[in-house]
Amino acid sequence: MQSAISTFDFTKVYKLRHGKTKVAVSSLDLDVCQGEIFGFLGPNGAGKTTTIKTLLGFIHPTSGRAEILGIPVDRPEARIPVGYLPEQPYFHKFMTPVEIISMHAGLSSVPRRERKDRVQEVIHMVGLSEIAKIPVSKLSKGQVQRIGLAQALVGDPKILILDEPASGLDPLGRRQVRDLLLRQREMGRTIFLSSHLLSEIETVCDRVAVLSHGKLTAMGTPGEIKEDSNKTTVTTQGLKAESLAKVDELGATAYYSEGDNIITVESSKLYDLIDILRDADLPLTSVMPERESLEDAFLRFAA
Amino acid sequence: MSHILILARLTMLENARKQVFHVVTLLTLTIICASVLLSFFTLGVQVKILKDLCMTSILFCGGVLAIALAATAIPGEVESRTCYPTLARPVTRCQLVLGKYFGTLFTVYIGLAVIGLAFAALLVGRHALDWLLVLALGYALLEVAIIAAISMCLSTFTTPAVAAMVSFLVFIAGSAKIGYFRPLVENVDNPVAKAMVKGVYHLLPNLESFNFKDALVHRLHVPESYLIQVAVYGVLYAALALTVAKYAFSRKEL
Repeated sequence: MQSAISTFDFTKVYKLRHGKTKVAVSSLDLDVCQGEIFGFLGPNGAGKTTTIKTLLGFIHPTSGRAEILGIPVDRPEARIPVGYLPEQPYFHKFMTPVEIISMHAGLSSVPRRERKDRVQEVIHMVGLSEIAKIPVSKLSKGQVQRIGLAQALVGDPKILILDEPASGLDPLGRRQVRDLLLRQREMGRTIFLSSHLLSEIETVCDRVAVLSHGKLTAMGTPGEIKEDSNKTTVTTQGLKAESLAKVDELGATAYYSEGDNIITVESSKLYDLIDILRDADLPLTSVMPERESLEDAFLRFAA
Repeated sequence: MSHILILARLTMLENARKQVFHVVTLLTLTIICASVLLSFFTLGVQVKILKDLCMTSILFCGGVLAIALAATAIPGEVESRTCYPTLARPVTRCQLVLGKYFGTLFTVYIGLAVIGLAFAALLVGRHALDWLLVLALGYALLEVAIIAAISMCLSTFTTPAVAAMVSFLVFIAGSAKIGYFRPLVENVDNPVAKAMVKGVYHLLPNLESFNFKDALVHRLHVPESYLIQVAVYGVLYAALALTVAKYAFSRKEL
């Protein structure tokens, strides 16, 4: 299947004053498959926005190339299947949400006879119905963010490029955005999602890429990029000094929390620990393999 | 084409909310309406002065509005970041430039139409309305189109303030090109300076050609071939300025 978004050896170097330069992105090779939610991660200044701006033709690559559905991004046709939500969407303050979304429907070449229905549909989808006719100047940041989402969706795009879609939203709004993204994936849309909310990324993304100092440091499913710590956490109750000494001999660490004894041991020594607990006639409340969180993986790759 | 119209409409709505548009239009309208106070002249002289004053006001108002609105149209869009969602659509930079240009132009034309109607009403009241008014106003609109194109072109290279300032200088110099520049070219002896002055002379738009105030005031005959030549010159000059603006804006990183 053709890639939805791909970059080939894409490099962007900014020219600064006094002949200095700054490499924003270096030799980036990305391949986003159709129909997936692709998380694009990286600390501030890693080159995420530069990559997104290049994909949308706002800036030009210094070398390499980028394509959307096989069309080079410097051609306007490449943006026909794209819906874009900027990090902090700005709209003309005198316009109302319905006017803004109608205008973007027009710019996305939504046929005139379908435009009104389509605008109403996305307004309802992002929860803007009650404020659809209030000027932007009177709306909150979260409400403007919803307008941004609506304008991105109004052209019925095959690919959504979303830069921090949950920015400025309350927990309920974030939940709604997450559900919306999952619904869009079910509809077969590709979503390229840049966000700092790692828990959101972990929940919704099929694959993620981590960018650090302009370079791709990891790419794969969240499970693939998270490291297995090779440790297991066992929970028991009533651990006595004698058993604790044996646990220490295994090289395991134990602590007491709210009536439970929580023991972390190397996975290879798990059965030895279980034997100790069985000999002492202690209950085995839970056995959990310890896995790195996406946040830990992000910090490791971004370092 | 539909993209250009959508962007032009948006630009008009935006411009209609700008203070400079209302202030300049109202000021010009006040000057034109105040010209009824010229009743101490005989009717013939009164009409001549009225035509002269009103046409000068219209040309100045059109020029100032075109400069003020066109110089801020594209930089304003970039600075406020409202261009991002727009250019993320299959909208070319050329379409954005043209949309902004025509939106600006139509806004100025609306202002000038109101002023022109007031002027026409004054002439009707003095039984002095003739077709030369349509001609003079039509070419004033063409002059405004050139000034707006120059201002927009400069705004893609530099800041809006510098673009507005340089455009105003071009407006003044272009309006005085034949009367003051030509003698200057002839009087300079230094060959380098002469070449430079000549270069500026040829680069400047000949805005005097669009001024049919004298024809209107003195009811002079204007040959049709001259009118066609001037119209073609105006359209080509504006198109050239817009082409440069499109080229400069396309290269710009947003």
